[in-house]
Amino acid sequence: MNGDTKKILRLTFILFVICAITAGILGVVNEVTKDTIYMQKNAKTIAAYSAVLKSDRYDPVEFDSEAFPTIDEVSKADNGSGYVVKTTFPGSQSTITMVVGVDNDLKCTGISIVEHGETSGLGANAASTAEVGVNFRAQFVGQGEDIALSSGGGSIQALTGATQTSTSVTNATATAITVVKSILG
Amino acid sequence: MNIKKQFGEGLVTNNPVLVQQIGMCATMAITTTLFNGVGMGLSVLIILTCCNVVVSAIRKIIPGEIRLAIFVVVIAGFVTIVDLLLQAYIPALSSALGVFIPLIVVNCIIIGRAEAFCQKNKVSACFFDGIFQGLGYTCVLILMCVFREFVGSGKFGGGLIDITNGLRFTLDGTGSGIQIFPSEYGAAVMNRPFGGFITLGLLMAVMQYALKKNAKKKALAERAAAEAAADKEEDE
Repeated sequence: MNGDTKKILRLTFILFVICAITAGILGVVNEVTKDTIYMQKNAKTIAAYSAVLKSDRYDPVEFDSEAFPTIDEVSKADNGSGYVVKTTFPGSQSTITMVVGVDNDLKCTGISIVEHGETSGLGANAASTAEVGVNFRAQFVGQGEDIALSSGGGSIQALTGATQTSTSVTNATATAITVVKSILG
Repeated sequence: MNIKKQFGEGLVTNNPVLVQQIGMCATMAITTTLFNGVGMGLSVLIILTCCNVVVSAIRKIIPGEIRLAIFVVVIAGFVTIVDLLLQAYIPALSSALGVFIPLIVVNCIIIGRAEAFCQKNKVSACFFDGIFQGLGYTCVLILMCVFREFVGSGKFGGGLIDITNGLRFTLDGTGSGIQIFPSEYGAAVMNRPFGGFITLGLLMAVMQYALKKNAKKKALAERAAAEAAADKEEDE
């Protein structure tokens, strides 16, 4: 082995050692900060999701997006308590974006309306934090795939003057449960 | 190397931005609110100090041929660490500074100090060099932020100071700042990168003026002292 080769090997070795040390340290830092960064990035989504189904972490899962065009995203709760479905569907005025929690027994654990353009004082009550809205949404907890308005043989009392909004929200919840069923199935 | 001299060099006579004129890109881009300026300045200070110490500590074992590659690896390592920590614990700063945190890797201040100073000096001197050069950088950022924020939107301390519920400091970038005059009277151009160029230009001009004046004064004083000494000799 001549002098030049030896020198190149030595340089390569030194550079390799320094890179390896750096990579090792970065690995440790990444491991330590990984979870916190995940939480920070998804703080908003997590806040909306944990309102309907408690978990520290939600991992998106695959679903048949052609069969369920109104479903935006389905995420599995990391603690195994169930799934959270994000869905956007037509309300009475414009589209409604809603988050639905579904447990492993295919029962709704709660709904939360993230965005909507419903009529103020009527359909908008579905998303309201006032008693009327809270009571309306509370009815969805524990409902199964056969969820329906009382006028359709179910047990959900529609909001006064907002039959269309109530119907859409109810049907969207049923769809959310169906999509989870298709995943579990 | 004494600490006092290094302090003066970092902050004034060899200020990284105003005198060495390195690392100016981020300076113009991010100095829109005091929050960004302080955050960026401190990030650079920490990275610079760490890199200086490490580069100085390994200066005898790194071969000259591959020193730049090694500097870049060390710098990139520290920048990534700071970037991850900011994302985890101060996400507001991380999103406000965006790509400029990862870009500290190619910030000339750090590689410049490694090449020009740390290769030849002891660890302790490099540690203080990192702190003082970092402080010099932070001071320039703060000056620019205060000036641009005031002229551009009539505010002071955006992101960092909140007065909606009495005076308090916020670390999450939500502070509204102190409105000194209504923002619609501000020169919006100052909030644009163009305003950054103008501010940096003005600061440099002031700095050069002050340094030149100081040098002249020193020269005059030296000449006067020399003349006085000559007079004394003649008298004798």
